[in-house]
Amino acid sequence: MGRIELDGLTKRYGDVVAVDGVSLDIADGEFLVLLGPSGCGKSTLLRLVAGLITPSGGRVLLDGRDITHAPPARRDLAMVFQSYALYPHLTVARNIGFPLRAARTPRAEVRRRVEEVAALLELGPLLDRRPRELSGGQRQRVAVGRAIIRDPRAFLMDEPLSNLDAKLRQATRAQFRMLHETLGSTVLYVTHDQVEALSLATRIAMLDDGRLEQLGTPTEVYDTPASVFVAGFLGSPPMNLLPARVECHDGRVRVLADDVEVDLWPGEDVEARDVILGIRPEHLHLMAAEGPAGPGGMPRLRGVVRAVENLGAEESAQCAVGGALVHFRGARPLGLAAGQPVALTTARDHIHLFDRHSGRRLAWRPLADRPLADRQSADHEPAAALHDGVTTHQRSST
Amino acid sequence: MAVAETTAPAPARGEPSAVADLAGETGARVWLRTAVGHGVLAALSLACIFPIYWMYATSLRRPEEVYNVSLFPWPLSVGNYTHVWDVIPIGRLILNTFAVAALISVGQLLVGLLAAYAFTAWRFRGQTLLYLAFVGTWLVPFQVTMLPNYTLLYRLGLLNTLAGVIVPNLASALGVLLLRQHMASFPRDLLDAARMDGRSSWSILWTVVVPNLRAPLAALSIVLFINAWNDYFWPALVLQRADSVVQLGLRGLFVGVEGPDWGGLMAGSGLACLPIFGIYLLLQRHVVGAFVRSGLK
Repeated sequence: MGRIELDGLTKRYGDVVAVDGVSLDIADGEFLVLLGPSGCGKSTLLRLVAGLITPSGGRVLLDGRDITHAPPARRDLAMVFQSYALYPHLTVARNIGFPLRAARTPRAEVRRRVEEVAALLELGPLLDRRPRELSGGQRQRVAVGRAIIRDPRAFLMDEPLSNLDAKLRQATRAQFRMLHETLGSTVLYVTHDQVEALSLATRIAMLDDGRLEQLGTPTEVYDTPASVFVAGFLGSPPMNLLPARVECHDGRVRVLADDVEVDLWPGEDVEARDVILGIRPEHLHLMAAEGPAGPGGMPRLRGVVRAVENLGAEESAQCAVGGALVHFRGARPLGLAAGQPVALTTARDHIHLFDRHSGRRLAWRPLADRPLADRQSADHEPAAALHDGVTTHQRSST
Repeated sequence: MAVAETTAPAPARGEPSAVADLAGETGARVWLRTAVGHGVLAALSLACIFPIYWMYATSLRRPEEVYNVSLFPWPLSVGNYTHVWDVIPIGRLILNTFAVAALISVGQLLVGLLAAYAFTAWRFRGQTLLYLAFVGTWLVPFQVTMLPNYTLLYRLGLLNTLAGVIVPNLASALGVLLLRQHMASFPRDLLDAARMDGRSSWSILWTVVVPNLRAPLAALSIVLFINAWNDYFWPALVLQRADSVVQLGLRGLFVGVEGPDWGGLMAGSGLACLPIFGIYLLLQRHVVGAFVRSGLK
């Protein structure tokens, strides 16, 4: 078992709130990734769970037991540090066996378990070496070995891959996935790397400024970001975010900005409001021929190509649209050159709207008289109503 | 074609010579800088080593030749050493001094280690004030504490005992200060990892911190041991007899009214220096490279 519950966990340093009332329920066997930019409080949150920092408020429960004030040693949690924190004076075998020796496990048992873990992590030939004689990847595996030898209720990992090069990171990600499947343990994993988060997590908790911004599966967080912050954090390049305005014209609800025209659905009942229009770069594509922007027309963004980047399999183009810079990417070659005027479009399903002031996602709820299938077809016009917040029915998650 | 053949080699001939000049200039300058640097270091080394050499050289001359200023003592003689051995209990004096210096340095190391660990591993009320009080004792001249300490020793009945020399010297601000600086830069993650791995604070100190602070501990041990070994005034005040520690033994027997017995003095001093050299040779191999960070990143 290894269910971790955080209940309004808060950490203040004077006037600075590092972690602001975070509540999370991490199920047994779950791989939950705390994702956010540097300084968002994710490592502090992990250390609060580990017991290395005392919280200013809130509770931490492990399998229903309140461990808020229990010392780290009594929490039955193992941690892998960003720096690996291997004991420099001990061999790999003694590093891995360190927690068992602390628990006064018999020597023979320690040796047996160390050999088991070393075999699992392919560390067998390195057992007599010291940390300074290991490569980055090997040190990282020793750190993981030291964590798993205790068979803890849950693992806490603080950016364990951040010191590895790109290739090794990819290989280690795959190892982590396999290890998680093999051990079936709960993992609370901190990273600022969205690729790590999206590829490893069963759920992602996005943090910003100490607050929980969104909690969901990688698909949910990527496809239906709860806020401008989440939308702008995930994706490479991240979602294009343009200041726009929702208005009703001639019986149509439209999103308008300089050189941007998006026809949403027929209606007059939506109150005009300032919004942020979001479109992922990979969802934009060139308009084959400029169709009508009128009723039922495709969303249209007109601009001028500023630069084209070769990303290997794909190309990314930066286009000046109105006063903003819009990225779009597609299979190489895109056939574009700097200075070329372009018209871009996307499916209505890929339009995201956020409130300009709160930054929160605006969801639109389909009206009851329209069948669900209509909303997934660009040929049909989904009549809908615009709502604040993400708790309402969201298009792309249906 | 002919023009091309005649003009083309010209720069080719010129370029290497320009490069050679440049390389020659740079090489000469580097050589000069290296030579001056080595010269200064050699002069400093000589200034440090010569008095020690002269001490052993004089001690190895025949007793009647101690005023001979030839650079190399010849023929060699151990007459001064046997004289010292006969006149004073040099073995016991060195043993006593060694015990005193060892206990004082171990005590100061232990106090320094525990205090520095407390100052760095925990945050507590009045921490800075207490630390300043510790370090502030360094600023108090010995003469200020000398009389109160002496009175206290008298009351405790420790005058004229080796314990009287040791006990007031068991804590040192130097040890606390130096070890605190080292512990402040000790990787915090290692301490946290040990806590996560189930170690108590006491266990972390001895199984994680101390093994990784061997270099500074060894360096500090040498300094503390030499300080204690060289201390003259306090043992002279407390012990008041010449047959206790080597500093007093040498003074009592060789600095007499007939003038110093240089041969005996040099031989005695030479013997008194041996434990210091031994300690240095023993610990200096630990004073190499801080490898604490090798387990990180």
